[in-house]
Amino acid sequence: MNFSPLNIILIGIAGLLGVGFYGLLITRNLIKVVMMLQILIKAVVLALVFAGKISGNLGLGQSTAATVIVADTIVAVVGLALAVQVRRRFGTLDVPQISTLKG
Amino acid sequence: MTLLTFIGMIVIPLVASPLVYLSGRLGTHETTLHRRSFLVRELALLAILLAWIPFVLSVQTFLTGGTQEFIIETMWLRVDGISLLAAAMILTLGTLVILFSGPYMAGEVGEEKYYAMLLTMIGLMIGLACAGDLFNLWVWFEGMAISSYLLVAFYREQAASLEAGMKYLVQSAIGSVMVLMGIALVLANAGTLDLPGIREAVSGSDVNRLAFLGAGALFVIGFGVKVAIVPLHTWLPDAHSQAPSGISAMLSGVVIEVGLIAMLRALSVLPGFSLSWGILFMAFGALNMLYGNLLALRQTVVKRMLAYSSLSHIGYILLGLGIALYSSMELGAQGAFFHLFNHMLMKGLAFLSVGALIFGLFLQNDLHASLKITDLAGTAQKYPWVALALSIAVLGLGGLPPLAGFMSKWQIFVAGFQTQNIWIIALMVFMALNSVLSLAYYAPLVNMMYRKSPSLQVLAGKQLSLAIVLPLVVMMFAVIILGFAPQLMDWVTIPAAKTLIAMFGK
Repeated sequence: MNFSPLNIILIGIAGLLGVGFYGLLITRNLIKVVMMLQILIKAVVLALVFAGKISGNLGLGQSTAATVIVADTIVAVVGLALAVQVRRRFGTLDVPQISTLKG
Repeated sequence: MTLLTFIGMIVIPLVASPLVYLSGRLGTHETTLHRRSFLVRELALLAILLAWIPFVLSVQTFLTGGTQEFIIETMWLRVDGISLLAAAMILTLGTLVILFSGPYMAGEVGEEKYYAMLLTMIGLMIGLACAGDLFNLWVWFEGMAISSYLLVAFYREQAASLEAGMKYLVQSAIGSVMVLMGIALVLANAGTLDLPGIREAVSGSDVNRLAFLGAGALFVIGFGVKVAIVPLHTWLPDAHSQAPSGISAMLSGVVIEVGLIAMLRALSVLPGFSLSWGILFMAFGALNMLYGNLLALRQTVVKRMLAYSSLSHIGYILLGLGIALYSSMELGAQGAFFHLFNHMLMKGLAFLSVGALIFGLFLQNDLHASLKITDLAGTAQKYPWVALALSIAVLGLGGLPPLAGFMSKWQIFVAGFQTQNIWIIALMVFMALNSVLSLAYYAPLVNMMYRKSPSLQVLAGKQLSLAIVLPLVVMMFAVIILGFAPQLMDWVTIPAAKTLIAMFGK
């Protein structure tokens, strides 16, 4: 495998996805969960620009990526706001301790 | 050039949403609180009623054969049978939920936010149903998801609803990452994102089929989180049972269905896999039915039980769609879309009537508790209309003739038998058995309400206002009438089925 720029970007996408999913599996802290979601989205943004580049439709890929960044910021804001409320009600951000709904 | 009336359906709720919010924020004086709450409610109701006007106009254009398309650069919106069906569902339930929420949410902290988010969600869902390109589809989808996170976690002083909201957000966000990866795969291989363009690009012989199959799998997983396909459903019972009752009705009645429509649209452009999607849908349908029914059987909280029963109903719908995709049969799709509509009516009615009971028994006595099945004892004496509505809803969901739920299940059933495929017929028998099994948890509710003597709690319940009972009665009659005259919905289910078959056509 040669290390052309395109391959490096592919490795970057795969790496970010790997870090994100691994982090989601092991982390117990709600803030970190939101951070991991952000890392996953960064992989997606990279993938979209990359897809635009290799398909020769760079403008579409970039505009898509820019919209994803905006939309995802809102998700992060809502997620962090919920985390703040969780901290207030439960007194903790530890995921196992706030899992009460079962069945 | 035809008038683009359908844009109104999307724009009116979206424009009204900030206005509703601002009108709720005007003036801070305590004495005006009551008047402000009234203003917010009436504005929201006015907005949704106004949105009916462009809907009726669009239906007129559509039925006379006109097409409506709206294209700027890469943004592509258009009206077809499926969008009209979705719009009809969203507007019907939206109107009734806003009417119901009037007394239910009165005086809650952040009432104006509730209506603003609800209207936003309604507008975004109609937009989603009209989306004609893959990226737009994602933008509307994500917008709908964000507004629903906020609504699920609306009771922010309650730990359980925060937990449900957080769970929903995380799972949904991962789903949306999957969808975006699928979109990136499609973009890399097709070079465009509008649905007809992709279809054209992939019709060539040298396409990378593996990449499109991968994209399809990512779409199934990503949208599957919102549709609550079985291994991805774990957010659903929490979110549906912890949200305010009106929102539970919206989530169960339209949000998961609209997610399904988004999934169908995304899958429709991938080349030549209709058969595989058909089989996949049928398999997931069977799994959803069984799992939803078995888990619903052991629930003690009514709203949680209804949430699990949504899983099994998504199963019936998937089964109908699977038959349609597998054998290109319109009848299956028609049955599935009819069940989509009926499920909206019946599940909406069930959640709203449970909400009415929660309101009468708990909320008006300043209690926040979940309604257990045993709490229903003897409610028929105190609240005859609500009990009747809930009974009709659950019996309809269980598929008792001559209610609406039976008719749509029957249509799917007939379509399945017409395929003359032994496996599909076996699935149909399995579906019928599941339908019977579901009565095992619906019937005890009716028994509880009518045959047990009321507890002290029920006797201490407060009276319900007309605005709460009226939507229930309207929906109850709709369920009964559609049971006797299922052809009343043909005007929208047949075009929707035709659209689906054309979308997945070779």
